[in-house]
Order: sequence, then C-alpha cells, then structure tokens
Amino acid sequence: MAEIVLDKVTKRYPDGALAVQEVNLEIADGEFIILVGPSGCGKSTTLNMIAGLEDITDGELRIGGQRVNEKAPKDRDIAMVFQSYALYPHMTVKENMAFPLRLAKVDNATVEKKVKEAADILDLSQHLDRKPSNLSGGQRQRVAMGRAIVRNPKAFLMDEPLSNLDAKLRVQMRTSVSRLQKQLGTTTVYVTHDQTEAMTLGDRVVVMRGGIVQQIGAPQFLYDHPANLFVAGFIGSPSMNFVPATLENGALRSVIGDVTLTDRVRQLVEAADAPREVILGIRPEHFEDASLVEPAKLSAGGKFTSQVDVLESMGSDKYAYFNLTGEQAASAELQELAKDAGSDDVPGDGISLVTRLSSASGAVEGASSDIWFDADKVQLFDPSSGKNLTYSER
Amino acid sequence: MAGIGGAETTGKKVGWGLLNAVVVIYALVPVLWIVSLSFKSSATLADGNFIPREWSLENYQNIFSTSEFTRALFNSIGIAVIATAIAVVFGTMAAYAIARLDFPGKNLLVGVSLLIAMFPQVSLVSPLFEIERTLGLFDTWPGLILPYITFALPLAIYTLSAFFREIPWELEKAAKMDGATPGQAFRRVIAPLAAPGVFTTAILVFIFCWNDFLFAISLTSTEQSRTVPVALSFFTGSSQFEDPAGSIAAAAVVITIPIILFVLFFQRRIVAGLTSGAVKG
Repeated sequence: MAEIVLDKVTKRYPDGALAVQEVNLEIADGEFIILVGPSGCGKSTTLNMIAGLEDITDGELRIGGQRVNEKAPKDRDIAMVFQSYALYPHMTVKENMAFPLRLAKVDNATVEKKVKEAADILDLSQHLDRKPSNLSGGQRQRVAMGRAIVRNPKAFLMDEPLSNLDAKLRVQMRTSVSRLQKQLGTTTVYVTHDQTEAMTLGDRVVVMRGGIVQQIGAPQFLYDHPANLFVAGFIGSPSMNFVPATLENGALRSVIGDVTLTDRVRQLVEAADAPREVILGIRPEHFEDASLVEPAKLSAGGKFTSQVDVLESMGSDKYAYFNLTGEQAASAELQELAKDAGSDDVPGDGISLVTRLSSASGAVEGASSDIWFDADKVQLFDPSSGKNLTYSER
Repeated sequence: MAGIGGAETTGKKVGWGLLNAVVVIYALVPVLWIVSLSFKSSATLADGNFIPREWSLENYQNIFSTSEFTRALFNSIGIAVIATAIAVVFGTMAAYAIARLDFPGKNLLVGVSLLIAMFPQVSLVSPLFEIERTLGLFDTWPGLILPYITFALPLAIYTLSAFFREIPWELEKAAKMDGATPGQAFRRVIAPLAAPGVFTTAILVFIFCWNDFLFAISLTSTEQSRTVPVALSFFTGSSQFEDPAGSIAAAAVVITIPIILFVLFFQRRIVAGLTSGAVKG
C-alpha cells in the first residue's frame, strides 16, 4: 500500500515526439484513479511509466515516498492487468496465479494459501487446474486479476482490462472490479478510453488529451464543472450539445433560443472576461418538453421549436434528436472529439442536438415540438482556447 | 448443410484415397526395397524379388562385426547431436534478439546469415580443407561440428525468429511486472512457449548434419571422425568382386532409425497452437 506521486513526468520518444507532457498527479493511498482519454492521448504511456515498462524522460515518479524512476518493474512491487490479460498459456490457472509468488521465492504452503484465497475471492476455485485456452473471456480476465492480487502489491495498474469483454459481461465485471478494489483497499490506476467506466469506477478521474492532463477531479465534478470543451464533450453519454452563441448585454442568443443569463452564470462570465462569440454547451437532460414545464420555470429558460428528427423511447425517458439549421460550433477540441467518436466523416449540415425528455412528453417523430432548456445549466466556452468561461469550483 | 468433413461425396473420398495411396507408395517403395535388400542373403541379393525368399541377418552381422560402421555411427551421432545443440542454443538467442529488439546492424546481420545459407557449400570445401589442415582441425570432430553449425545457424535463426514473433510481447511485460528478471522471463515464459519452434529447428538441423556427405568426405580421412554417409561409400565386399550392396542396405536402414526416432520423439512436443489462450480470444 502506498501513494504514488507523478511530479512533472514527461515522456519524449527518441524521434522527438512528446507522448506525455509534465503530468502532475498525487494518488493517495488506497485511491482508485482513472486515466481516460481518446486513443493516443498518453494514458497508456503514463501507466507504463508508472509500471516501469517505459523510461521516464523527465520528472520524478515516487511510490511510497521513494523515487523509483530508475527501478526495474520487478523492484517496484506493483502488479498490472493487461488489456489482453497476458496469461501464460503453458501454465494452469493455479500456476499462473502462483507465478509472482514463485518468483518471489515464497514457500509452498504460503503460495497454496494465497492462491486459494485469491481464487475464492474471484470465484475461480473450480478452474484452478485448467489451462487459459480452456477458459471463457470473463474467466481469463479474472485469472489476470488473480495474478495481480495474490502478492498484495503496493498498487494495481490496469490497462483497459475490460475492453475485450462483451458488453453485458463488461458491466458485470465493472462492478466486481469496483467491489474488489474497495475490499482490498489497494491503490489502483486504471486506464480506459470508455467514459462510462471512468464515471462509474473511479474516486477521481484524470482526463488526458495529446499527452497533457486536461482536468483531474471526482467523476461528478468533471461532469458538472468541465474545465474546457474537451472534458465537457468527452465526459457524459450522450455527450453535451454544443451550439455557437453570441453574448450581448447579459443575453445569450443562439439557434436554440435567446435567454437572459442567470445571476450565477453572469457573474462567472464577467469574471472570466468572455468574448462576444462563445460556444454554448448544454447537456441532454437539461432540455424538456415545453408543455411539461411549469409556467413559473418556463421563463427561466430558452425555447425553440423544431421538427423531431429521431425519437428514441427508453421507457424511463425519451431521447429526441433535432437537426437545426445554422453553423456548427467549430473548435479544435470538438473536431478531435468527433474524430475519436468516429463521427467526423458522417455527413450532416447544421447543428445536431440530443435532448432527453420526460417519458410523458408527447413528442412525435417527424412532428414539430416545443423544447425548453434551463438557462442556469448552460456552460459557455471560449471558441479559441476551449476554456470554460462558466467554470467554478462549486 | 453438413460440416466440411461431412460434405465429401464418396467419389471425392475415393479420389483422395487413391491420390494419397500413390504418394505413400511413391515415397515408401524405395525404403521398403532397401529394407528388403538388407534382409537378403548374398546369394539371393540380385534375384529381383521384392520379398526376400530367404530371410537372413547376415548383412547386419557383417556391418556390426567390424569397427568401420560402428565407429562411424558413433561419430555421426556425436557430431550431429553436439552441432544441433550448439546451433539451437545460439540460434534461439539470436532469433530472440532479432524478433524482439531493435539494434543497429540488425538488417545487416539477417542479410549476412541469409547469404551464408545461400552460399554454395561446394565452393567452400577447398578453403575449409586448407584452413582445417593448418589449424589441426582436419579429421577431428570439431572440424565437422564447426562448419555444420555455420550452415545450420541461418536455418535455425530463420525458423526460430518466426516462432518468436508469434509470441505476444505482453507476456514478457507481464512476467516483468510479476517480478521476473529479463533472464527469468525468457527462461520461464518465452522459452517454454517457443519450445515447439525449438524442437522443429532441432529436427531440421539434426537431419542436415546427419545427412551431410560433402563436408564429411572432404574434411575427414580416417575412422576417427568419419560419419556414416561417408563410411557407407567406403564399404567393400570381402573380396573386390563381391557386391557390398547388402551391407550398404543394412547400414542405410540402421542410420534411418535415429531420424525416425528423433522425429517421433519430438513430434509430440510440436503441438500447434500452444500459445492459444494467452491473449484475449
């Protein structure tokens, strides 16, 4: 058990490419921290540097207060679960899990005991004598976890451990990983590109982009208070809607309706010295069918009328998709997010909007609908820097 | 629809069966002929019968009665086993480096070893003869082992590096994370997984050394280091008018046996898909 400190950790490849730039991160003892970001953002490189599988070009890595930059992986006393599981195919499940202990020259009785304990926790007891090739994906994944937990390491590193499982199993394993981590109380660094895993698993989430940390915080905090466009667009599913807007004398004009800024938002925007042209960000759940909003609240928000493009009823809610005429919000961050989602080459003019409406909504596909949004929930971003102009610590 | 196996019609089965039979007969008839010859007595040797009319162990008794053949057999086994062992050990290390590491001159190394493999061996015989005579290696075991290793290594490196490339690199990373030194990771994880490749290579190299005639006849002169293929060519009958065909046949049968044993023994270990289950699935 130990805390892990990354002090301006940088990774530069021999060809000059900067993979990770000055990452500062203090991971408390027993904390479950998630590194998340699109592919190529440096999250796996960061994890490999903590593991010792990649050299640190610059900066310092401390585990339990001790500088470990120069230590080999085996001397760092941390265990890792790989995306591919990396089970030893010539060994049985038992031998796989016992391998770290055998290398540590632990006596036989202790090995037996520890492997049995781990197998019990992971529900692998009846598979101990099987080879990995005879196991299902979920079982292999558990063996990989077992191999990590048997020797009580200072920390667990997990590199997208669930991404090879099918969707249903992934949800199951997600909860068991979470439970296991709470039960063992071991410091864990978990890499994923899946924002749902990031939101549900971690105590804190580190969002990375292009080798640079964008924001560090509790999942809910990142969701409510994204520091910039990238975090806002990356966290949340379906993701936040972005619409170009104009700020004028405390009023906000855009294709989804004009609103007067609430006092809270106005103060933040003034303090941030906002430009005239901004990007308005608003989450799907902050929309509602205008006919279901109390008249008193109706005036505290904006309203637009448009034809429902697609309507998805989830039972509990309805997702209504709109396609509004107008220029899409443009910024480097949004382009990168679209690319990561694979939607950058989907043809489409105008602004597409996702709204989550109450199931009582009478919206019908193809018919026009009045949609209201909560003016106090808007987030405004600077199009050039991507900075959140309405960012606050609370 | 039935599976691939079940989709075969009777006609197809018969066709394939005939083809297989032809191939097997084509390959085995000469072998059986040699076996048949080896069991014939000198009187019936040339009677043209496929199945010996009278069975005799005369030829086998003859070849084992003098040291000419037994000494050659000993030389052959010793030289082939030592050369194979050394070539496989060095080949494994070199192939691992080639498959895993990026180092300056890697392509040059691969190119040079390819060049050696392609070099016509007969053009090297005279220089080797001179060199070995000067160095005192002529007509010794090392005198044959060294050229065998030289020519077997490229083969070994090529075969083995293909096997090493198949092994997921993450296994090695995992071993490192589990607390293994690079040496332990290689010995306990990589090498066992490369075992099928190592055994395949060992068989190929052993057969290469075992069958060699060119170097063996050029670089030896006495029974001290003469190998079986060469000794066979020196067989004579008890008089110069006697045909040594029976003895040669018996010797040929005897030297085929180690190869068959070798292949059968290692074949069990060449299990395809040994690495399956290592990564996802």
